[in-house]
Amino acid sequence: MQTAQLDRVFGALADPTRRAILARLTAGEASVTDLVAPFRLSQPTISKHLKVLEGAGLVSRGRDAQFRPVRLEGAALAPAAQWLGDYAKFWGESFDRLDAYVQDLKRKERRHGAVKKRQR
Amino acid sequence: MAPSKSDSDNPPFVISRDYDAPPRLLFKAFAERQHIMKWFGPVGWPVTMCEMDFRTGGRWRMAMTGPSGVQNTPFGGTYLEMPDRKIVFDNGFEVPGAGRMVMTVTFEPLDANRTRLVFSTQFGSAEMRAEHLGMGFEQGLGSGLEQLDDLVRSLAV
Repeated sequence: MQTAQLDRVFGALADPTRRAILARLTAGEASVTDLVAPFRLSQPTISKHLKVLEGAGLVSRGRDAQFRPVRLEGAALAPAAQWLGDYAKFWGESFDRLDAYVQDLKRKERRHGAVKKRQR
Repeated sequence: MAPSKSDSDNPPFVISRDYDAPPRLLFKAFAERQHIMKWFGPVGWPVTMCEMDFRTGGRWRMAMTGPSGVQNTPFGGTYLEMPDRKIVFDNGFEVPGAGRMVMTVTFEPLDANRTRLVFSTQFGSAEMRAEHLGMGFEQGLGSGLEQLDDLVRSLAV
């Protein structure tokens, strides 16, 4: 796994506008003009976001010199999704074990408490 | 200490769990070496090294050993805050240039004997993620990054 690539993907996803652009592109490719309309942002701002997404490999631009349609490259999300899945699993399993462990602690404390009372 | 960027810029990853135990016991399970060693990490990856100086500014270090029998790269950091019912610490692998993340655990009482544990991770850098990937766990989503989740699901790559 190339760390720098994963960094770029998570960096690109950390911005709400960029996530919204990706969500819009799940419906199909779009021109920059199409993308500017719903966001109430300037074209240069949208273009800047697109550069970040492109750098992360999350979108590609068509060849058509005039429109250069923006297309989602969903496969680039797979390593990020995989990483998050692994992370969730790591902690999910830890917290299952914690559940069993605190029940154990609880029982031990109760027993200990009972012994103390008897000794008094 | 300002360990990372603002929340809106860098959304935390959140896992929440309800436990049938008082907050005091859960806090203890995180705060004491002999306890945390018993539950930390996935099944099959026991904690085989654990050093902790549990006080604000104190350091902690851990390593796990996987099924291959080789001890994994140690990781650890500093306890940043520990008021009642909350522990904040940072974490990173002990390799040059590794990114760091800040983890916050809160223990919220639901009633006298029940606790909601909320665990959130603020990622400093994705380098950490790559390190975890190297451990070879498999898929299993349960993320608090809802937007990313939705996106990933809608793409179903």
